Amino acid sequence: MASIVRSSPLLRQSLATPRSSLLSKNVGVSQLVAFHASARKQILPPQPLNDPAPLPETHPSEGSYHWSFERLVCLGLVPVTIAPFAAGSFNPVMDAVLCSLIVAHSHVGFQASIIDYFPAARVPKTRTFLNWLLRAFTLTTAVGLYEFETNDVGLTEGLRRLWTA
Amino acid sequence: MASLRTTSRLFAASRPMFRPAALARTYATVDASTVDPNASKQPAMKTFKIYRWNPDKPSEKPQMQSYDLDLNKTGPMMLDALIRIKNELDPTLTFRRSCREGICGSCAMNIDGVNTLACLCRIPTETTQESRIYPLPHTYVVKDLVPDLTHFYKQYKSIKPYLQNDTPTPDGLENRQSPEERRKLDGLYECILCACCSTSCPSYWWNSEEYLGPAILLQSYRWLADSRDEKTAERKQALDNSMSVYRCHTILNCTRTCPKGLNPGHAIAEVKKMLASH
Repeated sequence: MASIVRSSPLLRQSLATPRSSLLSKNVGVSQLVAFHASARKQILPPQPLNDPAPLPETHPSEGSYHWSFERLVCLGLVPVTIAPFAAGSFNPVMDAVLCSLIVAHSHVGFQASIIDYFPAARVPKTRTFLNWLLRAFTLTTAVGLYEFETNDVGLTEGLRRLWTA
Repeated sequence: MASLRTTSRLFAASRPMFRPAALARTYATVDASTVDPNASKQPAMKTFKIYRWNPDKPSEKPQMQSYDLDLNKTGPMMLDALIRIKNELDPTLTFRRSCREGICGSCAMNIDGVNTLACLCRIPTETTQESRIYPLPHTYVVKDLVPDLTHFYKQYKSIKPYLQNDTPTPDGLENRQSPEERRKLDGLYECILCACCSTSCPSYWWNSEEYLGPAILLQSYRWLADSRDEKTAERKQALDNSMSVYRCHTILNCTRTCPKGLNPGHAIAEVKKMLASH
């Protein structure tokens, strides 16, 4: 009998949710709440229990197209990185291709880290800030490489000199 | 024919009505009196450290509790040890179990650092080292070794894990497929949704709200690869976003931990290939 009367912890939690402002004035309860490290909304998902989890909207430019682009950049980087050193020619066009691939590759890589570790649902402001920070960094890198290519020796020649220095 | 029947009835009548007590079904505990070879053996005491947390006492922190068992009197599997602890040492120990033969997926837990089914995991015979048993990592714990898999099942529901086919078959009986088409489902249909792979995936730890995780993606591929399913395009469209599939970074913890020996990593790679080629 007692087990039927006693409400489950999840049920108690859901009943407590709308009255949280009242409960927080109670010292004992607030101590209990402070003990739990996870937020209450994370323990109790807002959707009804038997509904399917919502799927994000279809967005091929963030999904399949993005992935194909990323894979192609990765594959393209392999020959472009090896070729100038293997063939011994330091062509400005090849340099330009290599630089743009490196910029695209690192942008996509850091973007993946931001999506992984800063979910938009949990930290929307940090996510937006980091996305713009990444764009600024990518742009700075691109401009810097362009300057290095046009006003200096270029990336592959620079690396070769560093290697032999 | 008639003589046969009478013989069998005679035989049935001669059977005892109840089985002798020694043959009656028991749990994993082995009665020392029935097993002679073990009676003379030295006791092989092994320590099991088990994660304990009671929701009825929310102010008490989770703790590891130690139990000592004689391996000579315990069955060979971790589930046998858990059941014996619950029967004989501590009835408050809580865990899920059902089939005890790796087909239901209830007893998924983290044993000695690896997500596996307790019923398929042998107890290491090394008695000097303790065995540590935790609930599935990065899940909300309901009690002791029982994780809350609600969201996992909700995600399973979201991929529509059933045949979607509106075309009636010519004979009105069943949707047929060739042996070659059927072979594509081998290694996919065996999944029992124990959540061992999903809860071993770091990407799923960080983004379980939106990333589907290896188990659900393996099931997605099971329906994408099915020749009888007509909603392949819709299924692909539903997955085509940055979160559902592409949080997989081919870490392959899923393939390494799967207690059924399946390869969710390969299934996810196939899903990515299918999505890329449309």
